Amino acid sequence: MNPIYLDYAATTPVRDEVSEAMRPLLSDEFGNPSSRHRWGRAASARLEEARERSAAALGVSPPEVLFVRGGTESDNLAILGRAAVWSTRGDEPLVVVSAIEHKAVLEAAESVTGSGGKCVVVGVGRDGALDVDSLHTALQQQPAVVSMMWVNNEVGLMLPVTEVAEMAHDAGVVFHTDAVQAVGKVPVRLGETPIDLATVTGHKIYGPKGTGLLVVRHGTEVAPRMFGGGQEKSLRPGTEDVAGAVGMSVAVELATLEAEFEARRLTALRKQLEDSLVAELGSITIHGAEAKRAPHILSIGIPQADQEIVLAGLDLEGIAVSGGSACDSGAVAKSHVLLAMYGDDARGATVRFSLGRGTTSDDIHAAAAAAVTVVRRAEAAGSS
Amino acid sequence: MSGRVLVAMSGGVDSSVAAALLVEQGYDVVGATMKTFCYSEKAGPSKTCCGLDGIMDAQRVARTLGIPHYVFDVEEAFTRDVIDDFVEEYANGRTPNPCVRCNSNTKFKDLLARGRALGCDGIASGHYVRIEHEAGASALFRGADHEKDQSYFLWGLPGDLLPLLQFPLGDLTKPEVRSCARELGLTTADKPESQEICFVPTGDYRDLLEKRLAPSHPALEPGPIVDLAGRMLGRHAGYAGYTVGQRKRLGGGFSEPMFVVAVRADTREVVVGPSEACFSAGVEVGELNWHGAAPEEGREIKVQIRYRAPPVSATIEACGESARLMFEEPQRAVTPGQSAAVYEGERLLGGGRILVSV
Repeated sequence: MNPIYLDYAATTPVRDEVSEAMRPLLSDEFGNPSSRHRWGRAASARLEEARERSAAALGVSPPEVLFVRGGTESDNLAILGRAAVWSTRGDEPLVVVSAIEHKAVLEAAESVTGSGGKCVVVGVGRDGALDVDSLHTALQQQPAVVSMMWVNNEVGLMLPVTEVAEMAHDAGVVFHTDAVQAVGKVPVRLGETPIDLATVTGHKIYGPKGTGLLVVRHGTEVAPRMFGGGQEKSLRPGTEDVAGAVGMSVAVELATLEAEFEARRLTALRKQLEDSLVAELGSITIHGAEAKRAPHILSIGIPQADQEIVLAGLDLEGIAVSGGSACDSGAVAKSHVLLAMYGDDARGATVRFSLGRGTTSDDIHAAAAAAVTVVRRAEAAGSS
Repeated sequence: MSGRVLVAMSGGVDSSVAAALLVEQGYDVVGATMKTFCYSEKAGPSKTCCGLDGIMDAQRVARTLGIPHYVFDVEEAFTRDVIDDFVEEYANGRTPNPCVRCNSNTKFKDLLARGRALGCDGIASGHYVRIEHEAGASALFRGADHEKDQSYFLWGLPGDLLPLLQFPLGDLTKPEVRSCARELGLTTADKPESQEICFVPTGDYRDLLEKRLAPSHPALEPGPIVDLAGRMLGRHAGYAGYTVGQRKRLGGGFSEPMFVVAVRADTREVVVGPSEACFSAGVEVGELNWHGAAPEEGREIKVQIRYRAPPVSATIEACGESARLMFEEPQRAVTPGQSAAVYEGERLLGGGRILVSV
């Protein structure tokens, strides 16, 4: 059995260019960027180069890039940092998010209600359409921030971020997007859209884990949520992870350079997987089929099968995929994204295949064959 | 030997060693932990109910053995088939045995269904019981360690399931299993025995009844303690707290030691009598299950009416929908709701749920 990794939306291997770029910073160039001697200056230079490289790749200016330690931290800083601007003024913050956000956004937004704030969750239909009425209503109440993800991590659904950003802009409201799954898969040119805050992480684009950045466009106020130093404009105090920032900047640069080519390649592979699964297993649902979807994610629903069984079965066949959000012990919880899109229709097993740089047509062929075996066996056992 | 086997791993030492032995024997072993109920009802943004130590232990052992391990959520079925039945039996004045119920109706059937779905050739557990497979027929026998023998809990296993089962600990003693676990470096080697009912964390089943029955349910309401002639001797605090043969919680002031002889849910009475009144000549058994053909009437067998009770000689007097087993010697505290496991020598033939003493 030759194991096949189809869980690139969970994480990716660090690419050679990234580890090469990081290596000197893990040995000789170990200085603290805040130090004023030559070691410090060298480290500071590397950090600022990383900032410039990331900024150029994303179409923003270098001071607009703040390095943080991962996507969750970036999302939290965007939501809670905006809410804190309201709180410091003595106002009760309103936070507006979509129902299919990552938990890092959703739970941060919900936490605002614990300290007097409010949170409005905008519904998303199975075709990816937002509940525009409730978005409009919410925008009129001057929220502290509106956050909508660019590409949903579970289904691959793409929200109309540019349109929402423009709506928010017209209403004078700050807009944040979680672009974690978008970078490297779809064109992310932040300079061309009125997006005020954007979250990117390194480990989904062949960079190191524990790295991330928050783009804070010029003029957008964010209040710190961590304290103890002046680093990253005081928004992410603490000695900078220079190696991580450098690794991530290389990853962002290469991902954006390759995005167009990779998107075409992955779309074709996803189509191949989708077509063979539909041909062999007629009864499956393609989640978000009617919506605009990112190239690398295919989420299917299998009505007659048990989620735990399908995931275990695929694992035993050497196919690495994921289902809904899994909790620590490995038990499977119902996905809030599918509940939002499909309500009670979201039954049976859900499997998310996510494709990446290492995925070949042969892999897709083998994975589809394994999935058909596993699902047929699970369906047979379920009906006996 | 070869083939894929799904082994139930609770995180305890027994099932850990069972899995290890199967690995040694060359099977393609897959570990499974059944999540039977929510272990903590703490509210919060992310439920902590999945962090149960047993699941963690099973995962650790699986990592040590280098086998895949999965958690299967069977909470709904377990609650319906085991916990609800447990509560209902007490509410009806009987004394249930949830482990028998679980093994008969939930655990092995669920495991087999998952095993089939995962392309397994068989399923296994860490029970101390022997199984022999011969062409066309499989039979269960008491475990070699009579101290630990768990065959009593398995009389309700569907017969057609037996050919697919393996019990790797059947020939071992508990000390042998522990030393085997130590040799393998399993973290669970010295874990203490679990004796309590798994879903009664406090050790007192009445806590669970109070949680799951309506507050004014008659089983939890005070009622009369009466003697065999129906004379009222005192009051009890709810008949669900009593089981046949019990001496505790009856109060004092009797001229001789008194024991529970019967629990009558319809009148809320707890009937007490002297020790000799607890003996019965036989037992009527329902919900029969036989691993092979039903034993014929008149056959002499051994019957065990309680876990860890010695098997006693009896004769099958009638055997149809229910069976009547007459003991060679009268037996103390035949308890409705408990199980009567029927053996021939060491071989487990099947059994049933005790309906009433005869």
